Amino acid sequence: MSTTLATGSSRQIDRGIAGAVLLAVVWEFSARGFNLPAYVLPSVSSIIAGMVQNAATLAQAARFTGLEALSGFVLGCLIGIGAAIAASLIPGARRVIVPVATAINSVPVVAYSPLVLLWFGVGMSSKIVMVAVAVSFTVFLSTIAGLDRVDRRSVDLIRSFGASRLAVLWRLRLPTALPLIIAGMRVSTVRSVIVAIVTEMLGAYGGLGWVIYQAVLQIDFVQVWGAIIVASAISLLFFGVISLLERHYVFWK
Amino acid sequence: MSVATPQTATSPVVKTGGLARAAKAVVTIVAFLVAVELIVIAFGIRPFYLPRPSAIAMAIAATPQAYLGGIWRTFLETALGFVAGGIFGVLVAIVFHRWAILKDLFFPLFVISQTIPVIAFGAIVVLWFGNTLLAKAVISFYISFLPVTVNTMLGFDTVDPRQIALMRSFGAKPGQILRRIYLPAALPQLFVALKLASSLALVGAIVGEWFGDTTGLGVLLLQAMYNENVVGIWATIVCSAALGMALYGAVSYAERRIVFWGNEQ
Repeated sequence: MSTTLATGSSRQIDRGIAGAVLLAVVWEFSARGFNLPAYVLPSVSSIIAGMVQNAATLAQAARFTGLEALSGFVLGCLIGIGAAIAASLIPGARRVIVPVATAINSVPVVAYSPLVLLWFGVGMSSKIVMVAVAVSFTVFLSTIAGLDRVDRRSVDLIRSFGASRLAVLWRLRLPTALPLIIAGMRVSTVRSVIVAIVTEMLGAYGGLGWVIYQAVLQIDFVQVWGAIIVASAISLLFFGVISLLERHYVFWK
Repeated sequence: MSVATPQTATSPVVKTGGLARAAKAVVTIVAFLVAVELIVIAFGIRPFYLPRPSAIAMAIAATPQAYLGGIWRTFLETALGFVAGGIFGVLVAIVFHRWAILKDLFFPLFVISQTIPVIAFGAIVVLWFGNTLLAKAVISFYISFLPVTVNTMLGFDTVDPRQIALMRSFGAKPGQILRRIYLPAALPQLFVALKLASSLALVGAIVGEWFGDTTGLGVLLLQAMYNENVVGIWATIVCSAALGMALYGAVSYAERRIVFWGNEQ
């Protein structure tokens, strides 16, 4: 997905913009032309007007959600990568841990959110925990997969030069695993924003999920769409930053 | 296709291996549950943090219809959305592959659409489709189709152009090339996406139920949360886990049968 975006020629970018404009025009005219009520589909122009009007509220909510998603993301990456390295250093551990982690990973993350809310309260910490849980499993599984990709013969070679286990890890296993680690992180960026918002909807003092929930209760669908657009912008920004890092650090790909 | 033939030869081996593995898994799970039970009793952990596994099992046994009904309902929503998402995802990949201009126009929009938080979208979908099974299936569909499209296109890219040239020189039609070369080549990648999509579809169904419904795992979760019934939350988590693992297992099983050459690569 990122490669298509990253290596996109200028013609592809032009066409991408053309597609977005096309969609906006069709949206605007069908909303106005069919005279759709706002709860079905508000027109693009009214959404933008609403966003400008509520700019302060949306910016505040975006900061809230962004902070939750980012803290949880960093925490989750550290836990995921750390646990994967630990599991790869202990012989035999990964045969036990990986099936368990795969099994837990197939449990829908949102199922934990009521529990986490009861444990950590309605404040920010419950959202950060939820995001960290969601991110850490994805990053853990991709890191483990990456660490396993090392060619046995390369390990034997640098061990024969007297490299310690740590040196093998640092000089060989981690660089080999890097593309997969970053790919896991890239997938997790969007997830972390979504999980933060989903958890906010169940209970929060602020944030985009809270704004959306309140707007739904007040049947203010222009506000819902505004918050959706802001949330997408945060995800895209986050996704873009990690993709940039990926291109910088995994330059050989 | 020749997909079915090699299996019949290998299936007995797979079966006994599978049985032994399943037995081992059951023993591990039972041992784990007993250990948790003992730890909870020994350290006197309050049920608010971690109820005893036996208490959770008893909660499920006390009202089995509620949980079975919830699993069935959520399963229907997930399965409907997942199957529709899988088919649509492959179709979109084929269309994008055939007409590159459509890909350039709309693929970025599809990528952006996936960054939209489902739950926000959920409120609107429930409004559009009403409080029905269909509304949840649409949410599941929405979050499961793009991984399928992306990976199918990745799979198409692995095709050797010389194979296509060869097929063409034999007079193969585009449809035949698609069926005989592109689709089989995309299968391994496709299944990676389908496994991901199966868990995403389940999340979509559960979250969709939060917008109002009377049955389903998402409803049970919300009810338990509002009553601060931690045992009930855990019981629902266990049910969701069982459903999630069953879906994942089913897709993995299909993968092993259909992409039998997967382990050779």
